[in-house]
Amino acid sequence: MPAQNQQQKFFEIIKPGSTYEFIGKQRYWIGLSIILVTLTAVILPLNAYVFKSRGHMLNWGVDFRGGSEILLEFSRPVEASEIRKTLADVGFADADVVKYADPTGKKQWNYMVRVGAVSVVSEQQAKQIQESLAKEGEANLKRFEWSEGGDKLYLRYDRPVEPALLQSSLKALGVNTNQVQGFGRADENTYEVTLVGLDTEIRHALDARLGAGAVAAIPSVESVGAKAGKQLQYDGARSLLYAILLIMVYIAFRFDLRYGPGTVVALLHDAVITVGAFAVTYKEFSLTTVAAVLTIIGYSMNDTIVVFDRIRENATRLRDRRFDRVVNQSINETLSRTIWTSATVFFVTFAMNVFGVGVIRDFAFALNVGVIVGTYSSIFIASPILIWLNDKYVVSQRKQGPGRNPRRQRDELEPET
Amino acid sequence: MERSWWWKAALYGVVTVLAVLYLIPTVVPEDKQPDFIKKHFQKRIQLGLDLQGGLHLVYEVNVDKAVASKVDRMSSDLEDRLRKDKGVADLTITREGRDDIVIAFKPPGDQVKLDDSILRDYRKALDIVARDPVAGVVRLRLEPDQVEEVRDYALRQGIETIRGRVDKFGVAEPTIIKKGTDIIVELPGLKSADFERIKSIIGRTAQLEFKIVDDGSEYMKKVAATVPKSDGKSGGIDVAPESWTEKDSGKPHEDVYLRSKNRDALMKFFDGLTGELAMPPDHEIGYEETQARGEDGQQTPDRYWRTYYLHKRAALTGEYLSNADQTWDQQTGRPEISFEFDRQGAAISERMTGDNIGRKMAILLDDKINSAPVIEGRIGARGRITLGGFGDPFALQQEAKDLVGVLRSGALPAPLRKTFETQVGPTMGRDSVDKAKFSMYIGAAAVVLFMLIYYRLSGIIANLAMILNLLYMVAILAAFEASLTLPGIAGLVLTIGMAVDANIIIYERIREELRMGKSVRTAVDGGFSRAFWTVFDAHVTNFVAGVVLYSYGSGPIRGFAVTLLVGIVTNLFTSYWLSHWMFDAVVGRRGSARATLSI
Repeated sequence: MPAQNQQQKFFEIIKPGSTYEFIGKQRYWIGLSIILVTLTAVILPLNAYVFKSRGHMLNWGVDFRGGSEILLEFSRPVEASEIRKTLADVGFADADVVKYADPTGKKQWNYMVRVGAVSVVSEQQAKQIQESLAKEGEANLKRFEWSEGGDKLYLRYDRPVEPALLQSSLKALGVNTNQVQGFGRADENTYEVTLVGLDTEIRHALDARLGAGAVAAIPSVESVGAKAGKQLQYDGARSLLYAILLIMVYIAFRFDLRYGPGTVVALLHDAVITVGAFAVTYKEFSLTTVAAVLTIIGYSMNDTIVVFDRIRENATRLRDRRFDRVVNQSINETLSRTIWTSATVFFVTFAMNVFGVGVIRDFAFALNVGVIVGTYSSIFIASPILIWLNDKYVVSQRKQGPGRNPRRQRDELEPET
Repeated sequence: MERSWWWKAALYGVVTVLAVLYLIPTVVPEDKQPDFIKKHFQKRIQLGLDLQGGLHLVYEVNVDKAVASKVDRMSSDLEDRLRKDKGVADLTITREGRDDIVIAFKPPGDQVKLDDSILRDYRKALDIVARDPVAGVVRLRLEPDQVEEVRDYALRQGIETIRGRVDKFGVAEPTIIKKGTDIIVELPGLKSADFERIKSIIGRTAQLEFKIVDDGSEYMKKVAATVPKSDGKSGGIDVAPESWTEKDSGKPHEDVYLRSKNRDALMKFFDGLTGELAMPPDHEIGYEETQARGEDGQQTPDRYWRTYYLHKRAALTGEYLSNADQTWDQQTGRPEISFEFDRQGAAISERMTGDNIGRKMAILLDDKINSAPVIEGRIGARGRITLGGFGDPFALQQEAKDLVGVLRSGALPAPLRKTFETQVGPTMGRDSVDKAKFSMYIGAAAVVLFMLIYYRLSGIIANLAMILNLLYMVAILAAFEASLTLPGIAGLVLTIGMAVDANIIIYERIREELRMGKSVRTAVDGGFSRAFWTVFDAHVTNFVAGVVLYSYGSGPIRGFAVTLLVGIVTNLFTSYWLSHWMFDAVVGRRGSARATLSI
């Protein structure tokens, strides 16, 4: 091969012509993956049933769990226990109160409060209110409805009641309302009670205990009905499946059927281990995390495609070599780009993880894990499966008749230099 | 340079200039923008709710409740007819589940009395699913399409009423849309102090009520006498007289009302009345927004609010309506509205209208008067409303259709149930943006440095391509007026990391070619062409994931999906074609090809 110009020197960290043995040692690497996946499978139930302080498989965000998440900013020093006690007094015994780091670091007394309720009136409280109301007044309470969405009550009486009076008797029972109005037909004597928002109720309770103005601000509130939460969980799982399926179809179409399953197992592997990282660290697993996992699924394909493309190219060129050797050589040849493409993404996501706030931070954490696992899986998961399928496939082809090359080739006609 | 290179240069130049132009409204403060930009490029990136602060609510229509009450009403109607018209002495009628009506007759033989003469009226709504002559039990079921109809009307009504309430509140750019069976309300930039108030206003169930106008009252005359002469400024209050005659008896009616361009001014005025002028407890003021009419009776574009002095008690509400349609007056050919009450409603209406012939009946939806026609005769089960005025027939027909919509939806108030709520204070957003920006700079710096050290001159090309990618991306987002959310910023940052990936793949390929001893020119062309499908496939799989993400996500997540998708498309363009073009400039064409390449 005559050189047309003198050999150039490049700045290389991973030298070309490397002959690392990936495939020969695959059992160790696959073993590591199996350990990680098993660890995920074990830690999930452990979180739910054994670790008392955790209590759920994953630290579901409110968007999945249902309930409300409220950020509180206090104007004076407050202890978490005090907040918890105040909340328990107004009926939120399950309140989860954690100190929350303010992004600017200026305000010190920030707390994140999480309660299971989305409404100021829980189902039990609703029953008590019903009983108390039934005893009161001249009109008989015929029906009492508490809508699970939480912000309303429906009361039906046997005769007309003055809404203002109803409002004040509810107030006497400790139920703060925004409005009471007639609902439905006039002769049905049904009244729609609009309750005050959860955040307002909590603010009032805290101000009452700690002195007016103790709650300086409520920077954010998120609340999700339990049903909507279930729906979101379901949608999230479904979208992950769709993404994986579509990608598999594309790969099968662009390469051939043997390349599909390896990619899918690799993607599932990446998704599972990322979830596992959230189970171990017990970081909040929210809608944004699902978005991150979907991104990982799309992105971790990049490395697999780079490797697979080279395998396909080499398989045509080096037809006389054993397929697993071809794969090992292809991985070596593409090692540098596999690592550096992942590295650049890792740089930026790591920066987001370190310097970002809130949602961004968890998002970046998921990507950090996903990028590492995704790079690893394209070498140690996707490729071995491809070899395994190829062996089965080629063997069955040989049985049918020799001399048939099952592969689709794109680069076949290109001259070799 | 070859000619094709210059053509490409021109193309890329135009694209870049366009991108910069689209970006200016977003980046440059408005007072510093040149007039040319202000005229042609006003589109800009909006800040998403999580960055700007505001309220995001998702409501679901409580269809079950609406359907159940519809079935309840039909049962009591049926019971009424069976007892009164058919003389059935003993029957029990119950609703089972949400959709079923079960009627048990005693003696069982009475079940034949539920015959076609009754069922005919319900044939669109109810099916007989079982009839047991021995036990005397009949089971009827609401037709499934009725449930869909309820849902449909409830959704439309929900959106309309929420829009009306939000508009009243004066939120800058509200989004109120239907997504599946949910109503999504986004109110960006809303002040935290207003959250509670607007939530309670939005969540209320809309009500349709009919109330009688108490015309010619002493009270309104007294009140009108105290109103100071308006100075004609907006917000001022006027007193206006009105009169009409009863159609049959010719009895004259006279009344005075107050009007103003500003509803709040009117409300404030009435709230301020005390002592002798205080509102009698059995009365209230209703407000209607109307278009002023000129001398010729034609509508003018001026709108104002006027008052009606109403009897407070609403004996008749929308739930008694069974149907409403826009029809035409046989004699005058003008659009009118015909409506039907159910049996109970008919009885109430007959009493109510019979006592008030010649007076006006106000139709209120959501505390706002939609129309107040004069009652021309006793209205029983069926009635008609003729619209006043002599406006353009098309406009009148529209008005009639709107009123039909109000009447139909009023017949089925379906409560809204809040399923999702996010409220973000404005400071939260600002802090997050600053932090996200900072991490973006750090990440970008790391990537730029790496590419420079590792690929030297070619690294500069990759970095240029990456920066141009960001530019195009943000310009496209601006052109679409996309809203930038916190996850959206994460998407931007992520794109920086991914943008150079294609370059790395291509560069490594070029290096391989060079190592094989190819000339620089051949190596560059070979590297680009051989890496194309790898790069393309990688972009496609990312894109697929982005599309799934877009269709799954809502709110901020969608913002992320949009930035991701746009970034993938622009990135393919910059990291492949644009980079290739830049290489052509560096490497030169065949004659002047350089011997080495800094890569």
